[in-house]
Amino acid sequence: MSLRLQPVHVATGSQDTESQLVFADGLLVAVLVQLSEDHEDAAGMWFLEAGFGPVDDPAPPMFADLDKAQSWIEQRLARAA
Amino acid sequence: MPTAPNQQAMAMLIRKLESIATLSDEERQAIKRLPVRINVLNTRQDIVRDGDKPSHCCLVLDGWVCRYKLLNEGKRQIFSFHIPGDIPDLQSLHIHTMDHSLATMTKATVAFIPHESMRELVARFPGIASIFWRDTLIDARIFREWMIGMGRRSAFERIAHLFGEMYLKLHAVALAGDYRCPMPVTQVDIADALGLTSVHVNRVLKEMRAQSLVTLRSNTLVIKAWDELLRVSEFGPTYLHLEKRAAG
Repeated sequence: MSLRLQPVHVATGSQDTESQLVFADGLLVAVLVQLSEDHEDAAGMWFLEAGFGPVDDPAPPMFADLDKAQSWIEQRLARAA
Repeated sequence: MPTAPNQQAMAMLIRKLESIATLSDEERQAIKRLPVRINVLNTRQDIVRDGDKPSHCCLVLDGWVCRYKLLNEGKRQIFSFHIPGDIPDLQSLHIHTMDHSLATMTKATVAFIPHESMRELVARFPGIASIFWRDTLIDARIFREWMIGMGRRSAFERIAHLFGEMYLKLHAVALAGDYRCPMPVTQVDIADALGLTSVHVNRVLKEMRAQSLVTLRSNTLVIKAWDELLRVSEFGPTYLHLEKRAAG
């Protein structure tokens, strides 16, 4: 399975707009949003704004970078496969 | 450390009980004679843990305490926040094994009251037993309100509702006034209590500040628009069943 990222801007109702749509085999599985300066210590991290299917999580995590986010998403998808 | 009566500690309990019911002089005196052991605790310290079988109840005298449960992968659900005057593990009198934990959120002073003494008190004073029962019923009513929040309210509404609730609870025991109260909780604590993430809590707090609804700085909550706070969160203070209400 290969993930593909597509940059977008998301209206989160905050300064956090820089985002990436994450596709797995052509299907949208997650929306990652980069946290703005508003989040102080967490600024720059990537937040799982939305996850679909096995990527959905009631306690959505934050990731230090996009590679870590993608590894996590791949693990979730692999576990469900 | 041995237990002994402590009038100051019991004054806190009496104030709390009188915020939800009326005590007779005799009942008040009996409460003042309860033996207690005072403990000063650090912040983020467990008081009683999931699975424990405590032999005393914990009365909060100073600071904030929360009930919580840890899930897999370190996930935590906070069930309730407790303030001075509360006995968050009152149920341990009748449900002997703890099914959740109790921890301090701040530095805290607590008084441990032996179960045996509590049992003697309620056996001799059925009126006090009724008030404790009433307290646990109100506790259950607050849980129902939180359930509505987590099931049906938005992040903004949940947080607004929590602020209204904590302000009125603190006001009832004379720890808040002028729409200002202590709120010594982190964004992660609020998230863990309301089924949110710290990211959402941070966004909502910024939005609330932008709307001049509330500000939360240095562990102090200032409610700038009380009526609006109640309106947006569909807050009806009746569920707290307070005898003396601050506002609303």
